[in-house]
Amino acid sequence: MSQMPGGGLVEHVTCLGCGCSCDDIAVAVRDGRIAEARGACSLGSSWFGDGRVPQTARARASTVTVEAALDAAAALLDQARRALVFLGIDISCETQRAAVEIADTLRAVVDGMSSSTVADGILAAQRRGRVSATLGEIRNRADCIVFWGSDPATRYPRYASRYAPEPAGLFLPAGRRGRHVVSVDVDDARGPADADTRIRVAAGQELDAIAALRAVVAGRPLGAERIDGALGDLARTLTAAHYVAIVYDAEPGGLPPQPGRAESLTALGQELNAVTRASVTPLRAGGNRVGAESVLTWQAGYPMTVDYSRGVPRYRPDDGPRALVAAGAVDALLVVGRPLGIPFAIDGLRSVAIGPAASDTPCEVTIDTGVAGIHEGGTAFRMDEVPLPLRAPVPGPPVAAQVVRALAQRIAARRARRS
Amino acid sequence: MTDRLRITGGAVYDPANGVDGDVRDMCVEDGRIVSSLPDDAPRLDARGMVVMPGGIDIHAHIAASSVNQARRILSDERTADPALPPALRDAVGRSGTGGTVPTTFTTGYRYAGLGYTTVFDAAVAPAGARETHAQLDDTPIIDAGFYVLMGNDAYLLQQVAAGERDRARDYAAWLLGATGAYAIKCVNPGGIELWKRNVRAVSGIDDALGIAGVTPRAIMETLADAANTLGLPHPVHIHCNNLGLPGNVTTTLDSMRALSGRRAHFTHVQFHAYAGGNGKPWASGAKELIAYINAHQDVTADVGQVMLGHATTVTADGAVEYLLHASTGRRWVNVDVELETGCGIVPYEYREAAAVASLQWVVGLELFLLAEDPWRVLLSTDHPNGGTFTSYPELIRLLMDRAYRDERLKDVNHKLLAGSALADGLAREYTLREIAIITRAGPARQLGLTNKGHLGAGADADITVYARDPDIAAMFATPRYVIKGGVLVVEEGQLRRAPPTRRLHVRPTYDDAMMRDLSAWFDRYATIALANYPVAPPGDAPVPVGAA
Repeated sequence: MSQMPGGGLVEHVTCLGCGCSCDDIAVAVRDGRIAEARGACSLGSSWFGDGRVPQTARARASTVTVEAALDAAAALLDQARRALVFLGIDISCETQRAAVEIADTLRAVVDGMSSSTVADGILAAQRRGRVSATLGEIRNRADCIVFWGSDPATRYPRYASRYAPEPAGLFLPAGRRGRHVVSVDVDDARGPADADTRIRVAAGQELDAIAALRAVVAGRPLGAERIDGALGDLARTLTAAHYVAIVYDAEPGGLPPQPGRAESLTALGQELNAVTRASVTPLRAGGNRVGAESVLTWQAGYPMTVDYSRGVPRYRPDDGPRALVAAGAVDALLVVGRPLGIPFAIDGLRSVAIGPAASDTPCEVTIDTGVAGIHEGGTAFRMDEVPLPLRAPVPGPPVAAQVVRALAQRIAARRARRS
Repeated sequence: MTDRLRITGGAVYDPANGVDGDVRDMCVEDGRIVSSLPDDAPRLDARGMVVMPGGIDIHAHIAASSVNQARRILSDERTADPALPPALRDAVGRSGTGGTVPTTFTTGYRYAGLGYTTVFDAAVAPAGARETHAQLDDTPIIDAGFYVLMGNDAYLLQQVAAGERDRARDYAAWLLGATGAYAIKCVNPGGIELWKRNVRAVSGIDDALGIAGVTPRAIMETLADAANTLGLPHPVHIHCNNLGLPGNVTTTLDSMRALSGRRAHFTHVQFHAYAGGNGKPWASGAKELIAYINAHQDVTADVGQVMLGHATTVTADGAVEYLLHASTGRRWVNVDVELETGCGIVPYEYREAAAVASLQWVVGLELFLLAEDPWRVLLSTDHPNGGTFTSYPELIRLLMDRAYRDERLKDVNHKLLAGSALADGLAREYTLREIAIITRAGPARQLGLTNKGHLGAGADADITVYARDPDIAAMFATPRYVIKGGVLVVEEGQLRRAPPTRRLHVRPTYDDAMMRDLSAWFDRYATIALANYPVAPPGDAPVPVGAA
């Protein structure tokens, strides 16, 4: 590994282009720009880009220093009646930790991407639990992989080659040939083209199909007329396997998946564990979304939508940021992280954005920072909640973790002066 | 900040230095205990009070990835226990939520509020170590470290199979340093790997595990020898096979005998001290187990007391959590982790009306009350498994106050208590000296922490001052003063400061030749690059290793 000023090859770089978080990318740097992200898929290559990001700080339409922008941001947020802190993507856990501290100090509401994409799965886990496995277990152990309404090839391009079904594993020396791959196609949401078995389910009947499978696995078939032959065969395939991995896309196109799917599949997975071993795992999109859930959980106790307005964390899973903004319940906004895809309008709010390309937003105060994993290091969580280190092949832009930490200190100092 | 402080007139309990309630001044300077101070040093009036070293928790679950999994699903119970930010003078006070598995800031504040200043997380998956360090960075006041899980690690098992015990030792040394851990943890040796293969029971420590030459016995021997050869400050920390099953005392005794002559720590032995099974009802195996521990100096243990009330079971021992889920129908989390270990979680309640919970409560108390050497039988509830750390004051009252204990005994279910020593009447009451041993001096000795758990000159100035109270639980629940690293953290019962914490970890050396083999293993089976596996070394200097 070398990292010369302006050029060189940085190895073992973690890519946050999707939740696979491949950590084997070699980034070639020339003249301070990324010339190539070796080993990256097309999604990863576009995530790395050429490493150039805007680097301005702005307050009320004027270009200012980062220090001056921080002062303006602290004043704006400190004066807010009720702020919303939004955790965007492409930030490290270190940045997320400082952002949640700001929310706590401001008695703000804090949320991230998850409440608008995977809330269904989070709430299901809180009711029922989970049967999960890290990607290494699936790679080394799963002899039956069910891709449920999803083909990782497009949105998680290296999933198949890095994790499953292609690699050989400790207990699967034959690799792909040692695994049975099932595609459950839900309407147009089709699984991998090379699946060994393919089952078609109409979206309207999906939950019924899972319930029927579960009943058969539990030895309580709902009646032969309710189970078509393919589902009965699938139940037998699952119970005969040594280790079943059921994989579904929790964030297809950034949209919430089929309501109830996560809970139904979890119930099926739990039932399967009475007779064999099984896991149910979501595919997650990129940018350290899982890190935001983890940090919120260890600091506040809830993985999404936390309201600090009473001085303590309150869980508001039914009132996500979209609802709060729509109801006029917040008067200021702090976006930390890449602001693309914020699932609500920010017109009419006083607002601060800190993160990659913050200056692309119409926010009143903006501070551009680097991208976690490209310009700054830190920690990010893979889709399976395994924490990975980030590297900084092209350092230089303001470091988000430091900028947000500095903002937290300014806000705390203001509050301390008043108390 | 308090650079100097004289704590005057308290009754000092410092068993490591033979001080047993003597009234004397304690002097603190620059974070350490010193033998004297000038007369004009600031004073803290502790007349009539009890002075002890800060508490040390040898076994709790506070910062592992499994702990965060538990927090995630316990949204209901934490809603009922919001934790306001403390009004700190030296830091931003952070809010949080409690319940059986509090958030990180609340965990640090509540431990400090009980007079505890050092805590070890007892089960961290190697792949999750990076998260544990981040969580501990957000856990204020208490010094902390963790034990890294090795008893089901596929690479380690391969070395055991191949008879490569030196390589296994080198791997253990590397893994300790790579994860920034303090000690080697062995949970249900081999049994977690079996659970991943759908084999759900280990009958005994000589079961074949499906890999030639690998048995629970061989795994325990390998890890005990690794820890002792490396001269780690804490020996291998063992959670035996068959946790929570009737008749498991046989397995526990077999495990202790297997390591006879080797230093080893056996954890939450209450959960491993049941007679019965094979068609016979559950019964206490405490007398048999404690007799062995009493007679064998190499064995140390913590009890893992069950406290009646709410708990959350969270363990690497996934198979036992499946059984608990299947028998109770409660929420259940299972995570199989990277050919390394597992994770299982089931929220639970120990009801005094329930026969087995009552037996568990009794077995733990029997172990405490029949222990002859408090230095080797230490206080724990396996937080949050047997109960939360906030129940320690209640546990101390049960140990110190026979009348109270006998009253509580009347309330529990007696169905399985035939022949129980406690039911037959145990008169013993722990003294303050013995409490100071099982919560301070003993853990420090077994953890090899030479600067903690005592109040001799040079020790870390981690001190707790209790106002005496006839209600022992109230006394231990609300210390009047707590000093951490020389800083007055609790003042008049109020949390006031959150000084910097220290990470306790080791960094033993190893033969580099192992790395070539390990690198090939990573290339074949791992999903994380070897270069990305080690955490950034903690900023604090490692605790020294090597033969004493």
